[in-house]
Amino acid sequence: MAGLVGVFATCHTPSLVRDWDAIEQRRRRELSAAFGELGRRIAACSPDAMIMIGADHWANFFVDNYPAICLGVGEEHGGPPERWLSDYPHHTMPGDPALGVHIAKTAFASGFEPSISYNLRLDHAFCVPLWKAGIAPLPPLVPIIINALQPPFPTIERCLEFGRMIARAIGTYDLSSRIAILATGGLSHSVGEPQMGRIDEAFDRECIELFRRGDTEALLQFLRQDRIDAAGNGANEVRFWVTAHGAAAARRFDLIHYEAVPETYTGCAFAEWKPEA
Amino acid sequence: MNMDYWVSRLCFDLHNNRQLADQYRADRHSVLCAYPLSAKAKTALLCDDVSFLAARTNPFLLRYYFIAAGMTEKTLLERISRVDLDKEG
Repeated sequence: MAGLVGVFATCHTPSLVRDWDAIEQRRRRELSAAFGELGRRIAACSPDAMIMIGADHWANFFVDNYPAICLGVGEEHGGPPERWLSDYPHHTMPGDPALGVHIAKTAFASGFEPSISYNLRLDHAFCVPLWKAGIAPLPPLVPIIINALQPPFPTIERCLEFGRMIARAIGTYDLSSRIAILATGGLSHSVGEPQMGRIDEAFDRECIELFRRGDTEALLQFLRQDRIDAAGNGANEVRFWVTAHGAAAARRFDLIHYEAVPETYTGCAFAEWKPEA
Repeated sequence: MNMDYWVSRLCFDLHNNRQLADQYRADRHSVLCAYPLSAKAKTALLCDDVSFLAARTNPFLLRYYFIAAGMTEKTLLERISRVDLDKEG
């Protein structure tokens, strides 16, 4: 019996690829080590499939129709549109339609109505972590996009519940399958705003501490929308971490690495929840 | 923020279409004429009016627009730090 074998989270900021050489050498070394450790831990889980939770940075959806949550159930997913990711080694990435549809059905039976896509492009939110963590060969991926870019956003509470629903879906799937979850985004950063470049390290460290304590009530109280807004619009991506936290039943959070990296404008964090405890 | 649909649409298209972005860098007028932009918006796009545009599109789209248009990150950071969204909005 397998099921959910690992829950992970990481940052995905473009500068980790686009402006890598501009990052101070010591930080590059530590970020590389963090990505390496993340990749090693994911590989150790030997996942048959990986659910990825992240953002769509205007690669699939426009304001004509911007879903709160979208499940990618395609046989394969398209590679990134960003020019600076031209060297990304995968033009397409494998999907897992059976798992994706099972999650969708479980969602519909649980009071969630995510949109469904059979043809997603996965932008840097997905490709930067897969590349930097050296995940090869790629397991089949089920991408889950949660709106964290264009307000209004799904509430933190709903993201937590959505994560719990994902865990239930995995628990009612083929239990011989080994399934990992990788959430990507955050923590604090500001993009295209007057405070762009500012990192709210206090916000990041409080989030990390609350994840570590597994104190979900305190986490929900802390992550009020006004507090998230104060940490920069990119901090809305903490929703992906909360979703992972819900899937992992808030257990055994292990911080792999954190540093506010000014060259990336981002509080760069890497973590694992160990749901098999 | 009052979203300007066509400014946002232009930003989205430039972000997702490399050929269009190349064309835009070479000749903004030829691309802009395909969009029913207001005169003020067109002027703002032609003269890189960060304040005007920041008040009318999503901040992520704004950043991607200026990447596609060829503005350096340093210049964008410097200009956007001076934006007063309350005044512009």
